[in-house]
Amino acid sequence: MALLDLQGVTKDYPLGSTTVNALRGLDLSIERGEIVAIMGPSGSGKSTLMHILGALDAPTDGEARFQGQDLRDLSEDALVTLRGRKVGFVFQTFNLIQTLTAQQNVELPMTFLGVRRGERAERARALLAKVGLAERVGHRPNELSGGERQRVAIARALANDPEILLADEPTGNLDSETGATILRLLKQLCEDEEKTMILITHDPDAAAIADRIVRLRDGRVVEEVRHVH
Amino acid sequence: MFIEFLRLAGQSVLHRKLRSILAVLGVLIGIMAVVMLISFGLSLKGLMTGEVSKVFGVDTFMIMDENVFSRSHSNTVKEYALDLETLRGVEGVKTVAAVRQRTAFIQGGTDDSGKAQQGFFPVMGLSPELLTDFTAFTGDLVFEEGGRQIAETDVDVAVVRRQLADRLGVGVGDAILIAGEKSNEITATVIGILAASEEKEQDQEFGMSMSASSADTIYIPYATMDRLWPEGNDFLVTVARTLPGYEVDEVADRAEAALKAEGSRVAAITSGDITSLIDQWMTYINIFLAGLAGISLLVGGVGVMNTMFTSVLERTKDIGVMKAVGAKNRHILAVFLIESGLIGLFGGVIGTMFGLGAAALICLMINALTSMPGGAAFPFIASPTLIAATLVGAFALGAVSGLWPAWRAARMPVVDALRYE
Ligand SMILES: Nc1ncnc2c1ncn2[C@@H]1O[C@H](COP(=O)(O)OP(=O)(O)O)[C@@H](O)[C@H]1O
Ligand SMILES: [Mg+2]
Repeated sequence: MALLDLQGVTKDYPLGSTTVNALRGLDLSIERGEIVAIMGPSGSGKSTLMHILGALDAPTDGEARFQGQDLRDLSEDALVTLRGRKVGFVFQTFNLIQTLTAQQNVELPMTFLGVRRGERAERARALLAKVGLAERVGHRPNELSGGERQRVAIARALANDPEILLADEPTGNLDSETGATILRLLKQLCEDEEKTMILITHDPDAAAIADRIVRLRDGRVVEEVRHVH
Repeated sequence: MFIEFLRLAGQSVLHRKLRSILAVLGVLIGIMAVVMLISFGLSLKGLMTGEVSKVFGVDTFMIMDENVFSRSHSNTVKEYALDLETLRGVEGVKTVAAVRQRTAFIQGGTDDSGKAQQGFFPVMGLSPELLTDFTAFTGDLVFEEGGRQIAETDVDVAVVRRQLADRLGVGVGDAILIAGEKSNEITATVIGILAASEEKEQDQEFGMSMSASSADTIYIPYATMDRLWPEGNDFLVTVARTLPGYEVDEVADRAEAALKAEGSRVAAITSGDITSLIDQWMTYINIFLAGLAGISLLVGGVGVMNTMFTSVLERTKDIGVMKAVGAKNRHILAVFLIESGLIGLFGGVIGTMFGLGAAALICLMINALTSMPGGAAFPFIASPTLIAATLVGAFALGAVSGLWPAWRAARMPVVDALRYE
């Protein structure tokens, strides 16, 4: 059984009197342990796709299954719990809470799941150490560099030991050197922790770490390439 | 989990200092007004009930004109007719004392040119029991050198104030002529002169008869009063003490009934009656205060709500992120309710301190600027109930004001929040 399975997914956004067809009938299957790069020009529906894969948004039409479970059958609270436990997000703009320290940011997903304080703190520090920020646990985002912020975000994404990492242009706001480091880190973590990852990117170098590249255009899959490393 | 939400909310409040301060200020002013006014109300009540219990014991009641509580148009106490023996005969009455008042022709000494000093002045007859058993009614009177208070055995004596002694040209030991009804006339010896106090308005007065007592009043023994005017239809105030074991309210009711049966138009008043009257006033004052408080708290609440809407808008992206990492709607709701509650609580804590401070200052100033009879003072009362209720109320005010913004935040679709820039 595929970890994630989309069948005929469409997504329409009403925009004034017209409708934007962000996804126009999309089939996609992600296997456990895969690293899949999703590429495509701006506006082709990559982020929309990621939102649906991460149970943040529901398709207008079609079917989205997470480990065989049709997401349409889940209540709003059940969807929240599903993404809290099984999905870790990494965003282009890091999206850390500015008022919280690195450690508190990493603890946040565990807090919402009701993990006890001591356990939370221990795991957050371990994760920050794993992304190379053992010395930065008490820093707030504005005291960290872009690369460091993204590391905190990656640690946060791993907080609840999810099935899958969804990274939406994680190197988009970083210089190429830092970006390359972040990509290596992501690849390394996926291998160490046996995680599945979907990596949305413009960057051909980024795509190079993937097992498979899916190209989108106008809300449809136009090409799929399997990589052999 | 509350601790974490508190941290999320608290850090947000601290992060947005200026706006938080403005919202806190709105609540602060409202809470301060409420605490100050209520505290002052409590002081007022404390003063009044304190005075009442000082004058009345638990065993004392007063006979006054029956319209004493409804004299809205005039501020003089009306005299009434009464038979003291009837009152003495009422079951349960132990001691009775009365004050009678008339206006009489008075003649004192002569001035330098030999002209007699004379005129019409109020005369008060004081029961000897008043001076022995009901000293709380007369208060602490200060006599000039060589003078003294009327004693039980005195006949044909008088006590006057300094002002009147000057007008009549008399000193201690001099005689004054008091003309009563028909040809009743006595010559009384002045035995005491009440020292003039510093403030003209705040003169020494005989306790409860203060509103009728003026600088011109001449005080004489009750028996002398009786000789000058045998008909007892000029009672100003009568006080009675009950025997041990009797319920003062019951005795007062019996006394009122007995006196009314004889045609006296009087009311018997106990400390309970006065306290309930004070309570009634306090109710009106409190309704007024509640209105005032309501308005200022409404203003404070609107300020908090406005701040919270801005905070929610500013944190739209954070809301999206929190939801993406597993926050349920109620988590978001809680974070923002705690944030607005904290603003309320900050305002409440500071407002309560300022309000209590202002009330204390008002009491201090009133006590410093005025002197009340009997050395009474406004007591400053910091009611723990009031403080606790205000702090809980302030948090609740903040939380309630934040309800709508927090609800909007909680309901925000996660994808829209995440895409918000
Ligand atoms: N909330 C929305 N309302 C209207 N249009 C939207 C909304 N979100 C995305 N779109 C549109 O959907 C299309 C796909 O957007 P997106 O998935 O963000 O593309 P990408 O991430 O590939 O740049 C774009 O044309 C975008 O303008
Ligand atoms: Mg995008």
